[in-house]
Amino acid sequence: MSAAADAIAPATAPVLDARDLTKRFQGLVSVNAVSFTLAKSEILGLIGPNGAGKTTLINMISGALAPSAGELWFEGRRIDGVPAYQRAHLGIGRTFQVMKPFPRLTVLENVAVGALFGFHGGIRSMKEAREAARQCVEFTGLARRIDQSADALGGPDRKRLELAKALAMRPRLLLLDEVMAGLTPVEVDEVVDVIAKIRDSGVTIIVIEHVIKAIRRLSDRILVLHHGEKIAEGDPATVLGDQRVIEAYLGTRRQ
Amino acid sequence: MSDAALLEIRGLGAGYGAVPVLFGIDLVVNAGEIVTLVGSNGAGKTTTLRAISRLIDATGTLNFAGEDILSHTPEQVFAAGLVQVPEGRQLFPAMSVEDNLRMGTYRRRDRAAIPASFEQVYGLFPILAERRRQLAGNLSGGEQQMCALARALMAAPKLLVVDEMSLGLAPVIVDQLLEVLATIRKQGVTVLLVEQDVFAAFSVADRGYVMETGRIVHAGPTAELREDPAVRGAYLGMEAAT
Amino acid sequence: MRPWLTLAIIAVAAVLLALLPLTGDAVWIQFGINALLLATCAQAWNILGGFTGYVSFGNSVFYGLGTYGTAAAMTQLGWLFPVGLALGAGAAMVLALLLGIPILRLRGPYFAIATLGLSAAMAAVVSNIDAVGANIGLILPLTRADGMFYELALALLLACTLTVAWLARSRFGSGLVAIREDEDAAASMGVDTTRYKVIALVLSALFTAIAGGIHAYWITFINPASAFDPTLNVQMVIFAVFGGPGTVLGPVVGAFILSAIYEVLASWISTAAAFLFGLVIVLAVIFTPRGLADIFGGVRRHGAAYLLQNIRENRL
Repeated sequence: MSAAADAIAPATAPVLDARDLTKRFQGLVSVNAVSFTLAKSEILGLIGPNGAGKTTLINMISGALAPSAGELWFEGRRIDGVPAYQRAHLGIGRTFQVMKPFPRLTVLENVAVGALFGFHGGIRSMKEAREAARQCVEFTGLARRIDQSADALGGPDRKRLELAKALAMRPRLLLLDEVMAGLTPVEVDEVVDVIAKIRDSGVTIIVIEHVIKAIRRLSDRILVLHHGEKIAEGDPATVLGDQRVIEAYLGTRRQ
Repeated sequence: MSDAALLEIRGLGAGYGAVPVLFGIDLVVNAGEIVTLVGSNGAGKTTTLRAISRLIDATGTLNFAGEDILSHTPEQVFAAGLVQVPEGRQLFPAMSVEDNLRMGTYRRRDRAAIPASFEQVYGLFPILAERRRQLAGNLSGGEQQMCALARALMAAPKLLVVDEMSLGLAPVIVDQLLEVLATIRKQGVTVLLVEQDVFAAFSVADRGYVMETGRIVHAGPTAELREDPAVRGAYLGMEAAT
Repeated sequence: MRPWLTLAIIAVAAVLLALLPLTGDAVWIQFGINALLLATCAQAWNILGGFTGYVSFGNSVFYGLGTYGTAAAMTQLGWLFPVGLALGAGAAMVLALLLGIPILRLRGPYFAIATLGLSAAMAAVVSNIDAVGANIGLILPLTRADGMFYELALALLLACTLTVAWLARSRFGSGLVAIREDEDAAASMGVDTTRYKVIALVLSALFTAIAGGIHAYWITFINPASAFDPTLNVQMVIFAVFGGPGTVLGPVVGAFILSAIYEVLASWISTAAAFLFGLVIVLAVIFTPRGLADIFGGVRRHGAAYLLQNIRENRL
């Protein structure tokens, strides 16, 4: 990266600064000039109908996709040209909406990959990495399945595994893509508590969700995407009461 | 056995290999109803649906439209008029919406009535009519769910079984789908709705069954279940106050 | 399998195998040299194919480069055998590095197809270079020392297997396996997938090339057709997959067993040997789709029912 990109930013630099991020796929604009910033330990709720561009936006932040236009700054460094694996080293971790476990590895081995290759390039010692992984497995409630093969896990356990893998990377920015899909209201409450604990340890989080009550409880701010554009941004009460948001996304049935 | 019972399940047991998952399920769906089956993940809802569709071995009593279907193959269950909309939709992504819908008519004998089915389905889902030539893989999540529902309706089912319709969908879309279910019930289709979103399910269903670790633990009209403190505590979580 | 158990097995097997030449049986020693070299090729393939999940059908190009590098160094440049081996290995590793970066961008079947043509292409190139004997080939100095070649081949197999044993327990190996299981997830978790894949290919090339070089000096006559033998590609893959891809001992065991079966069949019923060998492979795929190593674990846990389950899973 150039010296200019490494230039010292002021101490109050946001953790994440997205400027006019845009993604085009063969003429279809999937994300259109979306800008926002994130402060440390903030939780941003990202909501909107399917096809609104939420996952595409996350993909551009994690490095899975390169933006067609716009800039992305992470902790004072410009990262829109940086490959995904290096962003992991910088401290960006994510879960995948369509879960991606390592099927033939055990839960522990899955999570250990995160510990081995995450923040700052990860832990070099296999033994330390396994120990760190063990802690993440216990934190996410998978301890009784720690030696089971990942492809034998059921739905909710797979979601826990996605989260444990991302946590093992010791991320500074965590991108959660629909981790609560398919959970009952009580299970949702449990996950909300876990995410709040993660935030309390100093991690900045973006949460994509359709479970409105979870978004309402967790988010410091909410950003609403619709057809690739930002149509609302602000504190939960205001955004969830915004007429445009209700029409485009929430509907009128009480959640 | 009641004459009106379209689907009758008694003492259903099923499992995977040596692991039993269902322990004597009793469930009834009468013609013209919307019945919902709710419960946590791992409770056995999907296993129940697999047993009903005869994708897995099962024991007990399983009657559909007066016939014993326990020894049917999945194809025979489908032909009898029990059609499932699977979790995850399972559309043919490289085929157009219209072709996907046409695939739903694969086993129908009354070919002459198919155009009327297309009309019915496009009437219920105008957005599918608009997008009829688009590839199903390019639809949004909500549109895909509509396409999956529509495809199942194209098979002219007697009983429509819907598995986790609301997964990953915007609330406003879920509302639309619930309205569609209410409409097709008026058109004579019976619905068994398996759902995680208990609120959504109770808002449209007449009766509900709550499943926990392979057993039915609560059953009754949804108006009653909604008020039952045990159900509220376990399933409606912090929003029980509403 | 516990790492110490694996290492113990390797140690015991190495000692036993090292003692074989003492029997003085020329037939056994010759069979041994072939089997050991083939096992090395299978084990080297295992690094890229079994652990990283990139199925190569072109590894014989490295074997051929090792063959030609050693032969050319010894006949045209008058270098000593070890130096010749180094040249052959070096050439193979350079090719792996240069080719690896573009070709490893392809995934799955596309990668496999791309590797298919490598060997034939290199054979065509070499057969046009007069300096290395073009189509006629080269003749190396004769050394009657089958015992020495046997021990060399064994040492090579040992080195390769110990490398794989290290890999199976190392951070680097975890990265390779993560790439195999889900490359995109691995990248998102911080694995430098391009670098790791290329290193795996280079390691694979190194051991395969040295095997080719030893073979060249032993056989003393090489030409493009035999050095870049296309059947070698398939043999490596079959041996490794039959024995258990992604395991430490699997490819070696697979190579020994299948080589032995082929030898036995060839000496009994020479005309139908290839046919029967094919039959053995088919049965192996039906009963042990995930390799022998998987079978041992499976039968131990579930008994004979495990074999029946494999049949049902394949809908036979």
